[in-house]
Amino acid sequence: MKHCNICHVDIKTNQKYCPLCHQVLEGEADPEYKELYPEYVPLRREVLPLTKKVILFMTLVSVLVLLAVNLLTWDGTFWSLIPIGGILYFWLIVRYGVLSKQNIAFKLALLTTFLVIILNLIDQNYGPIETRGWALDYVTPLAFLACNLAISVIIWIRRINYRDYIFYLIAILIFSLVPIILVLVTVINVAWPSIAAFGLAIFILLFIIFFFPKSIKEEIKKRFHL
Amino acid sequence: MGSVRGQKPWFPLDNAAKIFPEVSNRKETNTFRVQIELKEEVDPETLQIAVDHILDRFPMFKVRLKSGFFWRYFDHNNSPFQIEPLPNQVCGQLNPKENNGYLFKVYYRHQIIAIEMFHSLSDGAGAFMFLKSVVYQYLVEKGNKITPDNRILTNDSLPTRDEYEDSYRTYYNHKNRKHIPEKKAFGIKGTPIPDNYVGLISGTLATDKMLELARRYNMTVTEYLAALMMWSIYVTKIQFREHLKANQKPVKILIPVNLRRHFPSQSLRNFTNFLKTNMMMARENITFSEIVDTVKSQFDEGMKKSELIRKMSENVAFETNIILRSTPFFLKKFLLKIGYQMLGLSLNTMSLTNVGKVDLPESMRPYIDNVSAAVYSGKFNTVNCAIVSFGGKFKITFTRSIIETTIEREFFRHFTELGMAVEIESNYVEEY
Repeated sequence: MKHCNICHVDIKTNQKYCPLCHQVLEGEADPEYKELYPEYVPLRREVLPLTKKVILFMTLVSVLVLLAVNLLTWDGTFWSLIPIGGILYFWLIVRYGVLSKQNIAFKLALLTTFLVIILNLIDQNYGPIETRGWALDYVTPLAFLACNLAISVIIWIRRINYRDYIFYLIAILIFSLVPIILVLVTVINVAWPSIAAFGLAIFILLFIIFFFPKSIKEEIKKRFHL
Repeated sequence: MGSVRGQKPWFPLDNAAKIFPEVSNRKETNTFRVQIELKEEVDPETLQIAVDHILDRFPMFKVRLKSGFFWRYFDHNNSPFQIEPLPNQVCGQLNPKENNGYLFKVYYRHQIIAIEMFHSLSDGAGAFMFLKSVVYQYLVEKGNKITPDNRILTNDSLPTRDEYEDSYRTYYNHKNRKHIPEKKAFGIKGTPIPDNYVGLISGTLATDKMLELARRYNMTVTEYLAALMMWSIYVTKIQFREHLKANQKPVKILIPVNLRRHFPSQSLRNFTNFLKTNMMMARENITFSEIVDTVKSQFDEGMKKSELIRKMSENVAFETNIILRSTPFFLKKFLLKIGYQMLGLSLNTMSLTNVGKVDLPESMRPYIDNVSAAVYSGKFNTVNCAIVSFGGKFKITFTRSIIETTIEREFFRHFTELGMAVEIESNYVEEY
């Protein structure tokens, strides 16, 4: 066993220097000794990959170019915000759709909600007055309908995990009730997409209530405990 | 499936656990390690079988962390658990997304069986209960004839509701919950070790000599070591530099108190509180006996039952506040983070955990060489200390996130100057 003659301590591990005072140690190392602590392996910290850097660089440049062109050829509208919104949505897909380790129901619900918000913003601010409202009339209910259908199919196929997914399904179900209210207060003029979305939502809700009643109650208790 | 009859397969985090998931990252990992060194080489395959068996007895650890709309909660985890070889990193970050969602790891290396656990799951006492059961099961699987003697939880008994309990909620008193504001503490500065590595220096002393030494000052071992730690900090960091601005803050050492010894709780989840030694050291000629007196009176004060209940109730009252409770989780996350930044770590200089004597059945003792523990060290609490005694071996383990080892040196030299034999081991971080 090695010994430090300054600190007067025995050193159990195979040190060259005293851990306490960093002096050279006396004595011979025990050849039978089994290393208690593993070798130091430097962490391989993930550096930002080149492709990500290139895409990020291109994104920033194109956003700046779009803004510059828009301002230099000013015609009264901020048209550049539409492609910038598109680019932003691309990054949301990359961040929450591809790279995120969340479950797929969460990704679908989140990305659908973002898409609906972006398209509604575009609809409200651009284009001639008479064609406005397409996002609210068609896109919003139909996007929720598609999302409902997708999550239900996923739950149907991967039944093992349905407890996690049901929460997001319920969230989207509640969202798809919004267009029907808007139809009733005549903000939405084309009724059939909203009615279709509402119909599917009610159908799925009834299906869940009849066939998974216990898990639903339990899941709601878990997720909403105060 | 390992859940207690009548017990829900999920449960909310206990009072102390709620803060940790929000404030943990690569630097502040909030994990700790408990470890038992056997006298024979550990066989990983047998250990895996033992862990798989015994995990059904500990349903409160067989969980994954999930977030709800208001709070996080633990949900039953059905995925398989995998043991791993001991890494060089001590108390590294436990990423719940990896590791099949489990918030603890079981490591093996030569004679060592170690568990690293995220603090949300349990405290040191709970982790030691689990480790003892794992080692017991391992020795049984190896074909050894040993008996649990009611000191170890084995598969022969069923998990009870009491073991699940959030004991803070059971024993708090809403009348005694005054909040006493605190001053920021002196922080030990140093050069950070690269890659968020943690250096570990562990010293083994003789238990009886240690007890004798503490008795000489008419103190308990924890009190004595806390006083010695204050002294080491004073000598290495403050003495002759009293005028510096950084030294004008009080040195505060956080000492966790196992509340199971003060309340009849069986809980395997968090049930710890703490007391703090607190002393302004920015003056000349502080003597060791002066520190001894201060520490002793502060221990007497902090160990009072009413004081323990007050600290506990303060936290529970914060948690049960209706405004905080009804804030959606994504906002609450930020509130907790900000609150912890302002109040949490900067209020203590370091933590000193005395796990105490590890109680094992007589028949198991011959198989075990030594027992130790370690606590993570982060950005503010750069040096921490954990103490465990088993049989004649008294192990003091320092972990640090800075390169300098001056406090450790001063601390251990104190014992060698008194003529005690000290055996040091280190995980080589200082040689890189």
